[in-house]
Amino acid sequence: MTSVCLYFEVHQPIRLNHFSVFHIGGKNCYSEYFNRKLNEDIFTKVAKKCYLPTNNLLIELIRKYDGRFRVSFSLTGTFVDYCKNFMPEVLDSFKEIFKTGAVDMIEETYYHSLSSLFDELDEFEEQVRMHRDMIADNFNYIPKVFRNTEAIFDNRIAKKASDMGYKGIITEGTEKILGWRSPNYLYKPVNSDIKVLLRNYTLSDDVGFRFSARMWKDWPLTADKYANWMANTQGDLVNLFMDYETFGEHQWTETGIFNFLRYLPEEVFKHEHMDFVTTSTAVERYQTVGEIDVPWAISWADADRDVSTWLGNDMQIACFNELKNLGRQIKEKGDPELIRTWRKLQTSDHLYYCSTKGLADGDVHAYFSPYDGPYDGFINYMNILQDIKHRLK
Amino acid sequence: MVGWEYPPFKAGGLATHCYGLTRSLPNKNMKVHFYMPKTKQGANSNNPNLKIIEVGESEIFPYDRPDAKEIGGHFFEAVYRYNDLVVSKVMETIKTEGKYDVIHCHDWLTMKAGTKLKKSAGLPLVLTIHSTEYDRSGWIYPNQWFIDIEREGMLNADCIISVSEFTKRVCVEKYGINPNKITVIHNAVYPIEEGQKQKIILFLGRLTIQKGAEFFLKAAQKVKNHEPDSKFVIAGTGDMLPKLITQAINLGLSDQVIFTGRLTDEEVKHIYGISSVYVMPSVSEPFGITALEAISAGTPTIASKTAGFSEAFTNCLRVDFWDTDEMANKIVSLLRYNPLHRTLASEGKREINLFTWDRVAEKTQAVYRGVMQ
Repeated sequence: MTSVCLYFEVHQPIRLNHFSVFHIGGKNCYSEYFNRKLNEDIFTKVAKKCYLPTNNLLIELIRKYDGRFRVSFSLTGTFVDYCKNFMPEVLDSFKEIFKTGAVDMIEETYYHSLSSLFDELDEFEEQVRMHRDMIADNFNYIPKVFRNTEAIFDNRIAKKASDMGYKGIITEGTEKILGWRSPNYLYKPVNSDIKVLLRNYTLSDDVGFRFSARMWKDWPLTADKYANWMANTQGDLVNLFMDYETFGEHQWTETGIFNFLRYLPEEVFKHEHMDFVTTSTAVERYQTVGEIDVPWAISWADADRDVSTWLGNDMQIACFNELKNLGRQIKEKGDPELIRTWRKLQTSDHLYYCSTKGLADGDVHAYFSPYDGPYDGFINYMNILQDIKHRLK
Repeated sequence: MVGWEYPPFKAGGLATHCYGLTRSLPNKNMKVHFYMPKTKQGANSNNPNLKIIEVGESEIFPYDRPDAKEIGGHFFEAVYRYNDLVVSKVMETIKTEGKYDVIHCHDWLTMKAGTKLKKSAGLPLVLTIHSTEYDRSGWIYPNQWFIDIEREGMLNADCIISVSEFTKRVCVEKYGINPNKITVIHNAVYPIEEGQKQKIILFLGRLTIQKGAEFFLKAAQKVKNHEPDSKFVIAGTGDMLPKLITQAINLGLSDQVIFTGRLTDEEVKHIYGISSVYVMPSVSEPFGITALEAISAGTPTIASKTAGFSEAFTNCLRVDFWDTDEMANKIVSLLRYNPLHRTLASEGKREINLFTWDRVAEKTQAVYRGVMQ
C-alpha cells in the first residue's frame, strides 16, 4: 500500500504599521504596531480566493468518496484570530470540514514563531499549549502530530515534541538528513521516541511552485499524470505538504489548480494500491524504518533548507536576539497585553522580510513582503522593538 | 563619438559615462575618436585605439539654466558653433582616414552635429540620453527650445540608449519616441576606496533644483534632534548655493552643516570614503552615478524612489524626495543600527561589482552592431 498524506499549512502573517524612529518612546498603544486595515484586507481577499472555495471543494470531495479522501490541516493561532476578528464564517467552514471525520488537525506554536530556537524552550512550550487549547476550544480535539514553524526541526525540538506527548512530527525530506534514503517512510530521531513524517519536496513543489510554470518540462500538470507519478513511487507514504494558499492564491484559479484538486482523488483511486491518510493515521499505521540525526536545525524554506531564511544576516540575528532578550523582562512585568504583543512580534514572517538572500529565493521573499526590501523591513521592526524596550525602562 | 565634457573637466554623469565608455570600448577591438570642446586642462589618451580630438573652444556649462534674456544670445550660439565645428572636423577626418561605422552622440549639446553627419555622411546615428530638459528643470517650466532640439535628435537617431527605464519612459511619453528603438543601459562605476567612517551624512552634487538639496537640509534638521553629534556635508556648487546657506541658517543648522563648495577628484573620493550615509534626494534623476560611487566606498545610500539608480540597484534605501520624515527615519536608523549599516555596506559592495564600464561597453557595442546591419 502507498498512502498519500496531504497536509496544508494555513497561516497569515501579522503585517506592521509604518513605525519610524520618531515614534519610539511616544505614547503609542500596542495595537498601533499592527496594521489592522492591511491585515483585514489581505485576509478577506485570500479567504474569498482560497480558503472558502478550497474548503467547499474539499467537503464536496470528502462526501463524494465517503471519507476515503482525507486531508490534514495546521491552522496557526494568528490565522484563527483573523477568522474571529474579520470573517467568522471562515472558521465555521473549517469546523464543518473537520466534522466530516476525514480531517486531522496538526499542532504548532500559536504565533508561528521561532521560539523553538530560543536558548530555553519554556516560551516554546507555552505557545504550543496555547495552540492546543485553541484547537480544543474550536474543534474539541487534541492533535497527535506536531509541526514546528516552517518545519524547523532538530534533535532538541523532536525530543521536546515527544516529551509533550506527540506521536508524530513533520519536517523536510531533505538529503541533508536522509543522504541516500527515501523520504517516503517514517523515521525516528536518534534521541527520542516519535515518528518523523518527511515532506516529499519534489512532488510537493510540483504543485506548490511549478504547477503554473510554463517553462517546466512537465507543464501542464494534470491529475492523472500526477497520480501516476505517485503510483510509481516506492515507499509507504507520499507526504505532500504545502501552503493552503497554493489553491487560488499562489496559483490562480485560471491556472486550473482547482480542477487539478477536484480530479486528484478519482485519479489516485484508479490505482488499487493507493489510498489517502491523515497525518495521525500515517503514524498509527506505519512503522519507522531508520533513524535520523539532526544536530543543526533544518526547515522546508528556501533552497538552503535551514534557518538562514530567518537568521541569515546580521540584521535578522540582531532582531532575533533583541526580541528574545526582551522576554524575561516582559514576563516579569506580567502585563498580559504586552506579553501578547511580544508574541505577535515573534511571528517568523517579521524576520523573513529582512532576508537579503539573492537570486531565486529573493524573488519569493519579495513577492510575500509588504516592504520595499529587507532594509525597510528591518528598520520598521527594529524601531518597534526599541519602543517596547523603551517602555520597559 | 561626440561628447561635451570629459574628465578632468566635468560637471555630471555625461562626462563620467563618456570616460568609462571610451576607456573600455578600445579594449574590445574598436577604434574610437572622441570629439569634444577644447578645454584649458586638455584631455588625452594613452590607448592607440582611442583618439581624443578637441574642437574649437567653449566656456559653456551644460547644466546652467540660461535666463530668458540670454536666449538666442551667447549660450546657444556657442552650442551651434561647436556642433558646426565638429561636423567640419569629422568630414575632414573622413577624407583623410576613411569613413566611420557609427556616430555616437550624447545629450542635446551634440545632437545637431549628429543629425547633420547622419545626413551628409550617411552614418548610422546612436544617441545616448543622460538627462532631458524635464530633468534639468526639475519638471518646472521646461524650456521648449531645448525640448525641440532633443526631440529632433531623438527622432533622427537610429537607436537611442537611455541610462534608465525612467528616462526611457520620458523619451516615449514626453518626446513621442518609439520605445522599440530605445535600449536601456545602466551606468557603472570605478570603485572608490573605503575610508575611516565618521558620523557624516553626505550630499554631493550640483546645487540645482534638480538635485533636491533643500530636502536634505529639511531631513537634517529632524535628524539633529535625535543624533545631535552628526555632521551634514553638502559638497558641490550651483545656483542654489546662496538659498541653501540661508535655509541652513534658518533651520538652526549652522553648527551641523558644512558647505564644501566644489571639490577636487581626490577630495570627492575622500569624502565618500569617510561618510556614514549618502543621500541622493533628487527631484528628477535619470540615473545618479554618485550613488554607485558612494556605495562602492562602503557608504549606504538613501536615494529618490524615482531615480534611475533605484530601479537598477537592490541594496539601497529608497524614499520619496519630498518625504523628509522618512528620509530622517532612515538616516537615524543607519546611524543607530550597526547591523543595518554593516549589511547594507557589504551587500551593496557585492552588488556594485555588477556595475562595470566593461559591461556598459559590451552592451553599447551590441547597439552599434544593431545599427550597422
